[in-house]
Amino acid sequence: MEDKKQLVGTPVSRVDGILKVTGKADYSTDHPVKDAAHAVIFKSTIAAGSIKRIDTAAAEKAPGVLAVITHENMPKLNTRGGIRGGAMLQGPEVTFYGQHIGLVVAETFEQARHAAHLVKVEYDPKNARVDFEKLASEAKVPKDKKDEKRGDVKAALADATHKVEEVYATPIEHHHALEPHATIAEWQGENVILYNSAQIVNGAQNAAASTLGLKPEQVRIVSPYLGGGFGSKGGQWANLVLTAVAAKMVKRPVKLALTRQQMFNSVGLRQRNFQKLSLAATPDGQLTALAHETTTHAAMQDEFVEPCGDCSKLMYEVPNSLISYRVVPMHLILPTYTRGPGKSTGSFALESAVDELAYKLNMDPIELRIKNEPERDPSNGKPWSSRTTVQCLREGAKAFGWEKRQAKPGENRQGNYLVGYGVACGTYPANQRPSSALVKLHRAGNDVTATVELAAADLGTGTYTILAQTAADALGVPLNKITVRIGDSDFPSAAGSVGSVGATSYANSVQDACVKLTDELMAKSGKQFFVRPTAAQLMVSEKINDHQTRVDSKASEKAEEYSSHSFNANFAEVWVDTSTGTVRVARFLAATGAGKILNPKTARSQILGGVTWGIGMALTEESIVDPRWGNFVTRSLAEYHVPVNLDIGQLEVLFIREEDTISNKLGVKGIGEVGIVGVAGAVANAVFNATGKRVRELPITPDKLL
Amino acid sequence: MRPFQYTRAQDVPTALKRREANPNAQFLAGGTNLLDLMKEDVERPDELIDISRLSLSQIKTIASGPNAGGVSIGGLGKNTDAANHPLVRQNYPLLSQAILAGASGQLRNMATNGGNLLQRTRCPYFYDVSMPCNKRAPGTGCGALEGINRMHAIFGWSEQCVAVYPSDMAVALAALDAVVKVQGAEGPERAIPFADFHRLPESTPEKDTNLNAGELITALELPKNQFAAHSYYLKVRDRASYAFALVSVAVGLELNKNRITRARIALGGVAHKPWRAYRAEELLVGKEATEVHFVAAAAAEMAEAKPLAHNGFKVELGRRSIVRALHMALNEGKS
Repeated sequence: MEDKKQLVGTPVSRVDGILKVTGKADYSTDHPVKDAAHAVIFKSTIAAGSIKRIDTAAAEKAPGVLAVITHENMPKLNTRGGIRGGAMLQGPEVTFYGQHIGLVVAETFEQARHAAHLVKVEYDPKNARVDFEKLASEAKVPKDKKDEKRGDVKAALADATHKVEEVYATPIEHHHALEPHATIAEWQGENVILYNSAQIVNGAQNAAASTLGLKPEQVRIVSPYLGGGFGSKGGQWANLVLTAVAAKMVKRPVKLALTRQQMFNSVGLRQRNFQKLSLAATPDGQLTALAHETTTHAAMQDEFVEPCGDCSKLMYEVPNSLISYRVVPMHLILPTYTRGPGKSTGSFALESAVDELAYKLNMDPIELRIKNEPERDPSNGKPWSSRTTVQCLREGAKAFGWEKRQAKPGENRQGNYLVGYGVACGTYPANQRPSSALVKLHRAGNDVTATVELAAADLGTGTYTILAQTAADALGVPLNKITVRIGDSDFPSAAGSVGSVGATSYANSVQDACVKLTDELMAKSGKQFFVRPTAAQLMVSEKINDHQTRVDSKASEKAEEYSSHSFNANFAEVWVDTSTGTVRVARFLAATGAGKILNPKTARSQILGGVTWGIGMALTEESIVDPRWGNFVTRSLAEYHVPVNLDIGQLEVLFIREEDTISNKLGVKGIGEVGIVGVAGAVANAVFNATGKRVRELPITPDKLL
Repeated sequence: MRPFQYTRAQDVPTALKRREANPNAQFLAGGTNLLDLMKEDVERPDELIDISRLSLSQIKTIASGPNAGGVSIGGLGKNTDAANHPLVRQNYPLLSQAILAGASGQLRNMATNGGNLLQRTRCPYFYDVSMPCNKRAPGTGCGALEGINRMHAIFGWSEQCVAVYPSDMAVALAALDAVVKVQGAEGPERAIPFADFHRLPESTPEKDTNLNAGELITALELPKNQFAAHSYYLKVRDRASYAFALVSVAVGLELNKNRITRARIALGGVAHKPWRAYRAEELLVGKEATEVHFVAAAAAEMAEAKPLAHNGFKVELGRRSIVRALHMALNEGKS
C-alpha cells in the first residue's frame, strides 16, 4: 500500500504542474469572487512637491464609475503599519515620480481606466533630488549599517605590492514578476479577505491589519499561487490596502492589478550602487586587505540599503577589512529586497576585483580564491556548519573544461568572435525560521490520505512538491494521497518564501509534525515496536479513522553556534562579436553546494532562473531615470531588457553532495537566492578574458565594448 | 483607453468612405502598435475601422507595369507570411531576414505589412503622455533632445524631434527600392517610392509619412533585382531578440566577378526614417568588393552623423556594422 522508495532527493515532477499548464491554478485576481468592481490606480507626474488641486468631477461622471479616491477622501491609515513605500493617499505630498495619487473604481476595468485619464491634477512642484551621480557625494552612514572594521585596511593597502582599487557600478533593476501585484478585497462585516500574492503570508496579514487598524484575525490573506515575486512581494505595498479601502467605500469586492508600466514605480526596485572595492595582496596571492564601500540611494522618508558588502565579509581570509555603506535620500520609490539582495550586486564587485587581482598577480583566479579560503567565518569567528567553495570551484572547473581557458586576454579568436572564460563565486546565508505545520491523516479501509497545512508561499518554485515529498516519506503515505494546502493565513503561521528560508523552514516543520504524529499514534496503540512503523501503517493496524497534530518548529540552538551558508562557483564562456560588441553567453555552469537537495528537478529550475537573471544583470537589465524629472524612461519590457531565450546559451547545473545536519535537521540550505549570486561576475570576468576590456559598469551592452 | 466605436469594413471602398467621413477614425489592421498606444492614451481615435478582413494579403509576381517581374506583397498580409513566402525568400531574402529580425513570433503573426510601415516611434517621451513631445503634442518640446537619448537619431534630426523610426522590415524595403501603393477615397491608386514614404522630422514631427489622411496601403511592390545572391540584414541590439535596433544595416550587392556593379545600403535605428546610405553606395559602385573599399564607404557615410549626448557610440557602431554587413552580403551570409 505505501511506496517504500524515498521520494525526498528524487526529481519528482511538480504536483501542481497540471493545474498550472491547464490554467486551473487561481492567481490573485483569478479567484471567482462575485460582483467584483474594478480599480485602476493613477499616479503623480512630478517627483517632488504637492498636489495643489485635483479635479475628479469628469471622472466621477464617467460611465460605470463607482468612486474616485484621492487624498481628499481617503481615510487615515497607520502609515507605520508595515506597508512599504508610502503612497497610500495620506496627503497631498509627492515624494517620487509615479507615486499613487488616486484610484478609480468602476463596474469594468475599461471604465475605470478611461475615467482615470479624466482626472486633472495641478501641482506645486519642488526641486526633485533624482540625479544620483550628483547626489552620491552627499551620502551619509545609514541608520542600521555602521562601518565594520577589522585591522588597518589603509596601512595594508599602502604597504601592498599588488592591489586593486576600483569602483563598480550597478544600475536600478526591477523585479517584474510575470504576475503583477494584484489584489481582490472582499469584506465580510468587519473582516476582510484579501486575495493577494504574498511571499510572506503572515507578514501580509499583519501589515494589512496594522495599516487598516484591524486585528490580525480580522484579515485573511489567500495566496495559494504566486506568479513570481523576487523580493517585491516579500513586503507589501500600497496596492494591497488601497484595494481594501476601495472595497469598503463601494461596499463591494474590488479587484486591482497593477499594469506593467505601473510596476516600475509601485513595488520597490533594486537600488543603483557605486561599490568601491579595494584589495591588497602579497606577491604570492595572500590577501592582506579588503575594503568594500557602497554608496547608494533610498527614499525620502524611508531607508533601505541592500547589503552589498555581505559576500566580502566572509568569502576570503583577510586580516584587514572594511565594510561600509553610505546612503542618500532621493525622490525615487523605496528600494527593496531583490533576488540575492546585496549578494548578487556585491559579488559582481568583489569577484570582478578578485579577477583583476589574479590578472595582476599572474595567477589563475581559481587558485587565488582557494589560497584565501577561510577556515572559519571571518566576520564572526564561528566555524562553518559546512562550506563547499573549494569543491564548487574544483568540480565546476573540471565539468566546465576550465583548463582550456587561455590566461592571456584577447587570444582566443574564433572567426569574428573573441572567446573568453570567467569564474566567480557566491554565497547566501542558510537559515531556518520559525514555522508551524498541521498534518491530518484520514483512513477509509486500508486507504490512508494526508493533508498538510501551513501558511507557506509557493513562488512557482516547487513548495507544494517538496512538502508533499517530505510528508510522503515521513508518513509512509504515497505522494498522490497527500494534499498540500498552503498560502492561506487561516493555516498555521509559517516563515516566508524570502531570503532562501522557505524550503528549509517549511520542510523541517512538516517533517517535525509527521514525526510527532507518528509518535502520538504509537503511544495511542499502547504497543512496543522493534521496527518503527509508519503513521500510515499505524492508522490501518490500529483502525484509527482520523488523527491530526500540529508543531511549531524553529532552528536548533546548536545551529546558532555555526555559520551556515550555501556556496557556489559560476563559470561562463562568452563570445564577443569584434565588430558590434555584442556578447553571447555560449555556456554557463553553476556548481552549487546547498545542503540536501530535496528535489533535483525543481532545484535545477531555480538555479536556471537565478543564472538567467544573473545573465540579464550582466548584459541587459537597466532602468534609467531622467535626471531632470525623476521619471523612468524605461517604461515597458520593450525597453527594460530581461533576457530572452536567444540570450541564454547552454546552462549546466551541478549540485555538490553535502550533508549538513548542523544547519538544520533535514540539512536543507536553500537555493532561491544563491542561484543569482556570482553570475554577473562570472560573465564580466569572461568578457575581460575574451577582450581584455574590463567593464565595471553593468550592464555590459554593446556600446561599452566598441 | 478612451471609448471608441468599432466598425468592420467589408470592402476597400467602404473602408475608405467610412474613414473619409470621420477624421477622428483610424484603420485597425493587426493592432499590435495602435492598441498599445490607445491603452497608453497616446492615440485617441473615436472610431476604429477594422480592415483586417479586406482581401489585400496576396503575394504574387507582378505581371505588368514598371515593376513587372518583381513581387507584390499585400498591405494587409501578415508579416510572418511575407517573411516565409517562397517568392520573398528566393528573390528578396534580405526582406525575409529583416522581418524575422523584428518583434517576436506572436507579434509577426498579428502585424500586417502596411501596418509595419506605419508603426510609431518607440521614443519613451512619445509614449509617456506626461512628458513633452512634439510628435505627440506639437509645441510641447522634445523630451529626448536634452534628455536620455541613447536610442535616438544621429542623422536627419531636428530641434523639434530626435526620434528614430523602429521598423526593421522598412530598412530592407528602403534598400530594395520598394514602391508603396496607396489608395484614397477619391482618385486612382498612387505609387510612392519608398525613399519618399517616410519623412524627416523637420518642423512637423507629428507627420511620420507622406501618406495623405484617409489613404490605405494596398500593396508593397518590389522591383526585380539581382541582390538575392549577395544581401544581408544585420541588426545590432541590446539583447539577442525582441529588442529595437541600436543600429541595423540592410545591404544588397550586384557583382561582376568581384567588382560591385550595384549597391544598396540602408540603415535602421539612426534616423526618423530608414536611412539610405547614398554616399556609401556611390563610393562602392565600380570598386572591388574588398575590406579597404568597405571601410572607406562606411567611414564616408558615418562622417555626416550628428550624435546626441548619449548615442555617440552609434557612429562607430554604424561604421563597423556597415563593413560587417557588406562582408556578410559578399560571403552569402557566412562570416
